[in-house]
Amino acid sequence: MVIVKRRELTLAERLYLPEIGRALALSLRAMFRKRVTRQYPEEPLPTNEVTRGQPRLVVKDDGNIACVSCGMCEVACPAYAITIDGGETDRAIEREPKRFDIDMLRCILCGFCEEACPKDAIYMSDELELADFSRQALVYDIEKLKRPRSALQKRIDYVNKLNDRWRKPSSTR
Amino acid sequence: MTKIQLNGREVEADPKKPLIAACHEHGANVPHYCYHPGLKAVGSCRICQVEVKQGEMPPRIVAACRTPVAEGMQVNTEAAKAHDARRECLEFLLKNHPLDCPICDKAGECDLQDYSYQEGQGEGRSVEPRRKLDKRKSLGDVILLDEERCILCSRCVRFMEEVPKTPQLTVAGLGSRSTIATFMDRPLSGNYQGNLADVCPVGALTLKKFRFQARVWNLRKSLSTCGECSRGCSITAEVLRGKEVKRFRPRYNDKVNKWWMCDSGRFALERHAEQAPGLGPRIAGALSRGQGAQVHEPIAAPSGVALAADMLAAHERRVVLASPWLSQEEGAALARIAQALGTTAGFVSPAPDGLADRLLHTGDPCPNRRGLTDLGFVALSVEECAARLAGCEVALVVGERAGELLREPLAALDASRRVALFEARALDAPAVKVQIGVPTHVEKSGTWINVDGHVGRLTIARAAPAGTPALTSSLRQLEEMLAAAAAGVVGDTGARR
Repeated sequence: MVIVKRRELTLAERLYLPEIGRALALSLRAMFRKRVTRQYPEEPLPTNEVTRGQPRLVVKDDGNIACVSCGMCEVACPAYAITIDGGETDRAIEREPKRFDIDMLRCILCGFCEEACPKDAIYMSDELELADFSRQALVYDIEKLKRPRSALQKRIDYVNKLNDRWRKPSSTR
Repeated sequence: MTKIQLNGREVEADPKKPLIAACHEHGANVPHYCYHPGLKAVGSCRICQVEVKQGEMPPRIVAACRTPVAEGMQVNTEAAKAHDARRECLEFLLKNHPLDCPICDKAGECDLQDYSYQEGQGEGRSVEPRRKLDKRKSLGDVILLDEERCILCSRCVRFMEEVPKTPQLTVAGLGSRSTIATFMDRPLSGNYQGNLADVCPVGALTLKKFRFQARVWNLRKSLSTCGECSRGCSITAEVLRGKEVKRFRPRYNDKVNKWWMCDSGRFALERHAEQAPGLGPRIAGALSRGQGAQVHEPIAAPSGVALAADMLAAHERRVVLASPWLSQEEGAALARIAQALGTTAGFVSPAPDGLADRLLHTGDPCPNRRGLTDLGFVALSVEECAARLAGCEVALVVGERAGELLREPLAALDASRRVALFEARALDAPAVKVQIGVPTHVEKSGTWINVDGHVGRLTIARAAPAGTPALTSSLRQLEEMLAAAAAGVVGDTGARR
């Protein structure tokens, strides 16, 4: 056991007022220093290409989504957040989703869907915020998930760079 | 039986079957595309190559589907040379095969995918462009052909020649421009076209009705029996997300249907949908119609059974009619009830549907005719049923589709008659006082006996609507209540409103 003796106050401290003045001076100085607190909702968090936000569907430059509803992301999803119903389209690709729902409350932002997608159609965006008044409103359908390719380009380039590490230099795609 | 050595083991092989059949029987998974146990072997795909050593000859690579079994043959399916031969063969097959597995409906049950993982080399070396052919060629109302995906195994050609014996397909063109075609581009006809999509080892022939409907790994497969004719083909019922029956596929049964089933059974999916054209909504629980009431109000199933028991106990001149879709278990329970009520039960036997053929379809739409006849039920045509109903005071009509078959006779009865109907779908008729929901044949477990006396099993492929008990338990409850009423026990059964 150690007995710690409280330090005796000095005369200046015991006089009290000088200490008040010192504290006020500290506060005054802090007012002119650079602020470290972020005003979060007004001032968003910085994001970069490594940010794994909510998954979004890529809309190609011709206005169609790249998804062919193959169901790979549905299978890969560990949280069973994705539900897809396929259907036929007249486009050359033949198949497109008639329903593509992601339950954002189930989504754990793991990025497996992005990794599983053989058509480069789903990417993790930098969108992180999720709030609504009902659970049903947070089951996002195709219209809510669509994002133009340009909005996801940073992430697409990053994922391609990552994948290039595993590609054999000889293989062509 | 011929003795051969398979991968160092001494096994017995059937000399009437090719070597590949012996390999499969004894657990050597030799890949195969053009070979199908139900069709003649032609040896066109060469993927089944194995190493065979016979006598003093050095080991040779042979196609197992075209090699007859011979005494003392030493077969090595895992030899390095055999693997090489298969891998090289696969590389050629994949040379022109499009990489559209994400789109292809066959993905997940595709032999080309499976054997590429098993034998393939993972990467193609070809620098030539893939051939471009018609990706959406219609072959009639049932089948769509994707020429690019076709590997020209000719199973479909042989199926059409050998099984329904209506040769309609051929391999047209030469070399890399060969395609599967119908004569003069006529659409396919016949009641067995759906099997083409099953025999196709790749995604070249697909069903128009199943196209892009579901990914096959999302389908829960349950063994079942086809209910569209008295043949009772063994099938699997495949259900998406526990709700929609997406397809029926034949299940191998040597004694009944081999590998095949007809299109009228395969596409009998509409009635399993939530809303079926021309049919009423599904009954969840029961519906009762009070004296003078115009509409049915929903009640719990046990209360419905209690109402039915009251009606049957309180009136004379009873009639018991069953649906031919009743299982043996349900039929036995109903036969006991009919006996207790002092009447003989009959089952509705609708007229032949005119689809009979020499292969599978019997034309008789009653899947359990034989079983119900064995249980003592009398086959009654719809007219005979109508006559029985017209002369009755109270009727018990039991089973899936019973109300559907007797829709007109039941609707014609005036409101003074009392009918208790156990049906899957609701029927609006003034005489029907109470309707109790029953599971359909994809929602119950049971047994049917087909026209030749073979047993067909039913298992629960999906759940019946909430609150719908199994028909066997509803009938048991009814039987107990009737017995109690007959014994003069007056009191509450606990299930009444």
